[in-house]
Amino acid sequence: MVAMESNVIISVSQVNFYYGAVRALTDISMKFRKNKVTALIGPSGCGKSTLLRLLNRMNELIDATRVEGEILFEGRNIYAPDVDPVEIRRKIGMVFQKPNPFPKTIYNNISYGPNLTGVSVADMDALVEQSLKQAVLWDEVKDILNQSAMNLSGGQQQRLCIARALAMKPDILLMDEPTSALDPISTAKIEELIEELKENYTIIIVTHNMQQAARVSDETAFFYLGNLVEYNKTEKIFTKPDVKQTEDYITGRFG
Amino acid sequence: MKRLTDHSMRWRYFKQNVFFVLVRASALVITLALGGIILYILVNGISVISWDFIFTPPTDAMTKGGIMPAILGTIYLTVGAIAIGLPLGIASAVYLTEYARQGRVIRLIKVGINCLAGVPSVVFGLFGLGFFVIFLKFGSSILSGSLTLGFLILPTIIGASEEALKAVPQTFREASLSLGVSKWQTIYRIVLPNALPGILTGSILGIGRAAGETAPIMFTAAAYFTAKLPGSVFDEVMALPYHIYVLATAGTNIEATRPIQFGTALVLVAVVLGIDLIAIVIRGSMRRNKKW
Repeated sequence: MVAMESNVIISVSQVNFYYGAVRALTDISMKFRKNKVTALIGPSGCGKSTLLRLLNRMNELIDATRVEGEILFEGRNIYAPDVDPVEIRRKIGMVFQKPNPFPKTIYNNISYGPNLTGVSVADMDALVEQSLKQAVLWDEVKDILNQSAMNLSGGQQQRLCIARALAMKPDILLMDEPTSALDPISTAKIEELIEELKENYTIIIVTHNMQQAARVSDETAFFYLGNLVEYNKTEKIFTKPDVKQTEDYITGRFG
Repeated sequence: MKRLTDHSMRWRYFKQNVFFVLVRASALVITLALGGIILYILVNGISVISWDFIFTPPTDAMTKGGIMPAILGTIYLTVGAIAIGLPLGIASAVYLTEYARQGRVIRLIKVGINCLAGVPSVVFGLFGLGFFVIFLKFGSSILSGSLTLGFLILPTIIGASEEALKAVPQTFREASLSLGVSKWQTIYRIVLPNALPGILTGSILGIGRAAGETAPIMFTAAAYFTAKLPGSVFDEVMALPYHIYVLATAGTNIEATRPIQFGTALVLVAVVLGIDLIAIVIRGSMRRNKKW
């Protein structure tokens, strides 16, 4: 594995995760780099989404789960007892598999988070516009900001969800198979967007689609049965992986 | 072979038709029963309905005059019961579905709530008498009656609220929490507004029950007769269901007041429908804002 010490933003060390008695992740240690796109790939049930949701403490919404190990973000273990998960989620945004806008207007979908989290926003209109522009949705919705977000197409809804997350000005954006429910054109738009967003954000994306991982990511981690099998530069993973199992998966021999 | 298949298809269609007829028949029986009751009350009671009947108090030892104090009393008691039962019921349901860790304690609480739903209403009345009227010294009053009715409809409201809260997609909660919004804000801003139409739908049942019950208010709120309108929540009131009960069993002239009894029943049905209608209108305006 290549050295990836520079610009580390999240450092996962020896993490085990349990759903009840079932161990979903085994001894995961890896470092995510700032302003890079890291893709997590692997077959269903390999633990990639579980790991993603550990990074902003979303797994604890599920009863009877348990985490061991440390996840350092900005040098602090986010699982330390004195850490408020609400604070963590404010800095680490998330986009989900299925677009999940609130049944509110487009404008209120964006302003909801900043309004409620005590961030003082001098100019909400400007923040809404800026967020929608970042998500490349502004031109499509600027005249219908007061209409329900539920009237948008699936692809537009997903970009709205990205804009909603960006409005919180997070450091990291977690994406859990963000295009799996979208058509190819919408998928292409989101992928372009990811490319632009990495200028300012660190992106960690879970994807089922290996071509997508190859297209959008700088680094790729391959998971299998709750283990991190290989973590390398994307180019290397897809051309000359170090581990045989990775090659088998990427070439479609299993998965 | 072909004939056999034909035959079995026909047999299956026949069974299907029998089943459809049975299902339709049961729907019809229920509709007829409901229609019959309403029609019966309507035919027997419509003759006494007039502006005076609705807007004046009873006279001549309740054999003449109107039922205005009883109408107002029932409205007060019902609104009071909603004011007590709805917030308490919603709060309990929020605790049970959003906060509590699912386990043995919660199961026990839920069994308790279901048992509460099965307690006869006269037991609620006796509890109200012992606790609110005597122990807390509220006396026989709107307050005691509303509290008793509020507790009576609590299981209905908790049940309806739980269902409505569970129907709000989990993805809404995740989306809100992932923005760094706190759990309480998520419940208050996202979950509750989306659950309210459903909560109201279920609560309508409770509202109808609160308005129509006699036993719980007999010892806690209802006056045999008072022409005086209540000045505070500590006053007794007349109430429609109790008025019907009194006229039909202990009135000064039971036979002569039959039309008044039916008229009062008709007004009670109308009041319940009226309160339901208000709830339905509120629900409708909430639903228009919701889509997923």
